[in-house]
Amino acid sequence: MAAKLVQLTINDKEYDIAVQANETLVDVLRYRLGLTGTKKGCGQGDCGSCTVIMDGNTVNSCLVLAVQANGSRITTIEGLESEEGLHPVQKAFIEHGAIQCGFCSSGMILSAKNLLDKNPKPTEGEIRSALSGNLCRCTGYQKIVEAVQSIAK
Amino acid sequence: MLLPKFDFDEPATVSEACEILAEFGAKAKVIAGGTDLTVNMKKKLLSPERLVSIARVPELQRVDASSTMLKLGPCVTIANIAESGEIGKRWGAICAGAKALGSPLVRNRATVGGNLGSARPAGDMPPSLMAYGARVVLTKKSGQRVVFLDNFFRGPGLTEIAPEEIMTEIQVDAPPPHAGAGYINLGLRSSCDCNIVNVASYLVLEGPGGPIKEARIVMGCVGPTQRRAVSAEKALIGKKPCEALFTRAGEAAMTDSTPIDDFRGSAAYKKEMVKVLTRRTLAAAFEEALKS
Ligand SMILES: Cc1cc2nc3c(=O)[nH]c(=O)nc-3n(C[C@H](O)[C@H](O)[C@H](O)COP(=O)(O)OP(=O)(O)OC[C@H]3O[C@@H](n4cnc5c(N)ncnc54)[C@H](O)[C@@H]3O)c2cc1C
Ligand code: FES
Ligand code: FES
Repeated sequence: MAAKLVQLTINDKEYDIAVQANETLVDVLRYRLGLTGTKKGCGQGDCGSCTVIMDGNTVNSCLVLAVQANGSRITTIEGLESEEGLHPVQKAFIEHGAIQCGFCSSGMILSAKNLLDKNPKPTEGEIRSALSGNLCRCTGYQKIVEAVQSIAK
Repeated sequence: MLLPKFDFDEPATVSEACEILAEFGAKAKVIAGGTDLTVNMKKKLLSPERLVSIARVPELQRVDASSTMLKLGPCVTIANIAESGEIGKRWGAICAGAKALGSPLVRNRATVGGNLGSARPAGDMPPSLMAYGARVVLTKKSGQRVVFLDNFFRGPGLTEIAPEEIMTEIQVDAPPPHAGAGYINLGLRSSCDCNIVNVASYLVLEGPGGPIKEARIVMGCVGPTQRRAVSAEKALIGKKPCEALFTRAGEAAMTDSTPIDDFRGSAAYKKEMVKVLTRRTLAAAFEEALKS
């Protein structure tokens, strides 16, 4: 069970890293690269706290083998802030009180960003559906939906 | 939850993948999107010595809806099927199944071949594919065979796929004129749940308005594998389609189903829902048949 060399482009930075076949992408991000903005809740695809954007699509990084991500472009929550400050979706979440404990926020914000990139004017139904793989135990979702709607307008 | 240790291969072609499976047999397991397999491995229900990833084999990712047969690569993602206009135009119930599966996150990784390969009695793709009469092509180093989905599932988690075989294509004939299909799944919420009951129906009419020439009704969650509602199908043949007929077919489907009591619902409730979903999917199939 030799380690495999994989190449990942994470938040526009290239990484060459030797991983074991049984390491998941979320564990590589968190434990090998220190990118702890990506959270790990259930580890089995149910909660969405491990959401990252991989080659343009949101995925549960706890279900992706790091070896299967070889060659991919990945955006994590750390990649959203720019020189101009926080990403508009991050700002909207703060302004609308859409963050409480924050454990779901990285995944929620990445799912919202990916939706808005593909569909800049989603309906409320489309927003709720796009966020339906991301669970939040604190906010009751209403403020999250309102935050996304505030940018969609 | 950590994954047990395993070796990993990422063949570039089907023949390369078949070589590896021929060598390692039951010690190896194919992985596509991994949304079913990795969870089972984390729960230590399975621990194959070797995973053979077919997710990046280009020939397994093709969709060809141009002729009289839909040819679906097993590694096409559920998200791509859900959004596919060309599949939706002639095989709408397949898209309905894809839209009902998991969450957007899961759909972006999950594949149709993986959904069939995981052989869950509550799976969202088998009912409509079976209702359209789909077949799968199973390939190994020494040859190929074609298996009807009706004969593919062997029990929960068990299929016809032998350890050295890979599913390399899913084939679905285009419905003839005056045909239609419908799929409905009942769950507790609209995302990321497990179905309580799911049903797909397919009808072919003699001409506009009927009578019914061909009928296939497939029920999920009511037995160890998906089931055809045989007596309900019989009750439909030769008859003029109408609500009353669909209700009678729904009642017949109840007798074709053998659900069990579990935390998702009682057997009695599931039977009742078989009746309702059979009636509703038949009505949806009829409506589509009138338009086609
Ligand atoms: C949170 C969550 C929610 C889910 N919700 C649903 C749901 O609502 N409905 C539903 O039906 N499913 C659901 N699933 C289950 C799963 O996502 C689907 O069954 C999915 O389609 C599996 O595809 P995959 O590519 O990820 O399969 P994998 O995990 O890669 O493989 C599954 C099985 O199929 C075999 N296999 C895959 N491809 C092939 C091939 N080409 N040839 C031979 N064998 C093959 C593998 O060896 C394995 O045994 C859910 C899963 C999660 C984690
Ligand atoms: S940690 Fe990945 S979905 Fe919960
Ligand atoms: S803010 Fe606590 S889980 Fe969403």
